[in-house]
Amino acid sequence: MTEEPFRWLEAIANRRDYVQQQIGTGSPVFAVSLEAGILLLGVGSGQSKVFEIFDRQAMAALGHPADIERVRQMLIDAAHLEAFTRASADVNVRRLVSFGLSPQLKQSFEQIFQAPFMIDLLLGEVAEHPSKDVLVKVNFDGGFKIQHGGVMVAAPKPEQVTLATDWLKANLDQKLKPESAALVLLLAWNSLTSGTPLPEKSEQPVKLPDALVEQLSDKVVEAAVLERKGSNVARYVPLMPLLTG
Amino acid sequence: MNTGIAGDFLGLLAQNNLRPLAAESSTRAPEQTHATTVFAFRFRDGVLVAGDRRATAGNVIVADDVNKIIEIDRHSLLAIAGVPAMAFEMARVMQVSFAYYRRSQLQPLSQEAKVRALARLLRENLPLTLQGVGVVAPVFATVEAQGDKVVPRIYFYDPLGAQFEAVAFAASGSGSGTVRSVLSFQERFGEVKPSTMTLNQAIRFAHNVLTVASEFDAATGGVDPLRTVWPVIKVLDANGVRDVEAAEHLDARKEGV
Repeated sequence: MTEEPFRWLEAIANRRDYVQQQIGTGSPVFAVSLEAGILLLGVGSGQSKVFEIFDRQAMAALGHPADIERVRQMLIDAAHLEAFTRASADVNVRRLVSFGLSPQLKQSFEQIFQAPFMIDLLLGEVAEHPSKDVLVKVNFDGGFKIQHGGVMVAAPKPEQVTLATDWLKANLDQKLKPESAALVLLLAWNSLTSGTPLPEKSEQPVKLPDALVEQLSDKVVEAAVLERKGSNVARYVPLMPLLTG
Repeated sequence: MNTGIAGDFLGLLAQNNLRPLAAESSTRAPEQTHATTVFAFRFRDGVLVAGDRRATAGNVIVADDVNKIIEIDRHSLLAIAGVPAMAFEMARVMQVSFAYYRRSQLQPLSQEAKVRALARLLRENLPLTLQGVGVVAPVFATVEAQGDKVVPRIYFYDPLGAQFEAVAFAASGSGSGTVRSVLSFQERFGEVKPSTMTLNQAIRFAHNVLTVASEFDAATGGVDPLRTVWPVIKVLDANGVRDVEAAEHLDARKEGV
């Protein structure tokens, strides 16, 4: 098969459809750069979606739990080896993604006799100033996008990503406390998962609709902040208890 | 991905052909630098860990501003005495491996495993220890949550890796004999026992202990209030590790020695 280009292309296309279908029911995850730090949020049904990677780096992912775990371990291994052989300051998401994770994902996706990773993920790296924060979105095929500050959304469908990103850019105040910003993200999550329209304008302080609170009662809302300022070397702080009610 | 024991950073290093404490033997070792005189004792609110700032090689003072009290994680401190080249590397291995375990396994390493991790590193350093060129004798302090209470613990090690839990205090390095004598005397016969001291009293007491140790051991830096370089003192309590700041050193001395 591999020596016949057309069949290989067809196999890759089938594979793309298959992976997109598999992660199509995934729950969106968010990363936003605030004055206080980078907030990551995901809503799951038990398995974790938001993780600490290193001192200033964290990830949020949707997809198959086993693949999320594989990617998480790869990133943690690479970050700690880098920190040990060089220094903690040398660990950054740009290098973790572009020289480590992305080639691995691409290879797995294009090696048609190998299982692909069924995962889309966001990575955040907090800096001294929100405009220097690094947010990265990595797709299951190894493609990735890096931006400084702002908002990033990973959702099963591209139109969902566009919708939520535009709405959050217009409605999410960078000065909000992480706990309040998390409520805004939950409004966006609700709209993406239920198909209800996004509110015209988010009210301050944000209050979750009763129906959403009810919907979240049997789910696990995970949120964490990479704090911009703090005495700890490790800046990852889970927001607990979470947010509903 | 680490294919060995889950969360084992040393295993991950070995897979990548990295051996942090590996060294060839030699009988022609140069004069070694030594870090001297560290100690830890319980005070009312936790554990105080202190060290002088001097490093020596033979009769040469190599440096007088060395930090021998190293934060391993938010709940543990390593006080190093012996050859800094090996001791600092052990500290670095512990820092990264504890963080690696916590992040990869999504839970902190147990106190018992932390204590054993240092023993394991000392044993891996055994060839150099036996040759007398890489001897490290550290003190390790940590806090353990027991229900609502936080219990501080102090351990000291021999250079071969045997670990001992100290009830009230531990000391290591060339000035440790004097330090242990003073601590033992104060704990048994003193009007204010170290274990009942406030932080301010404990800082002042630590200064005094180092001063006495420096009078009997040339390799111990002691305390010179005219210099701005204070002994390194760190505190381990229910909130984790905290540095004692310069202002606190000054405050403690103001109340008289």
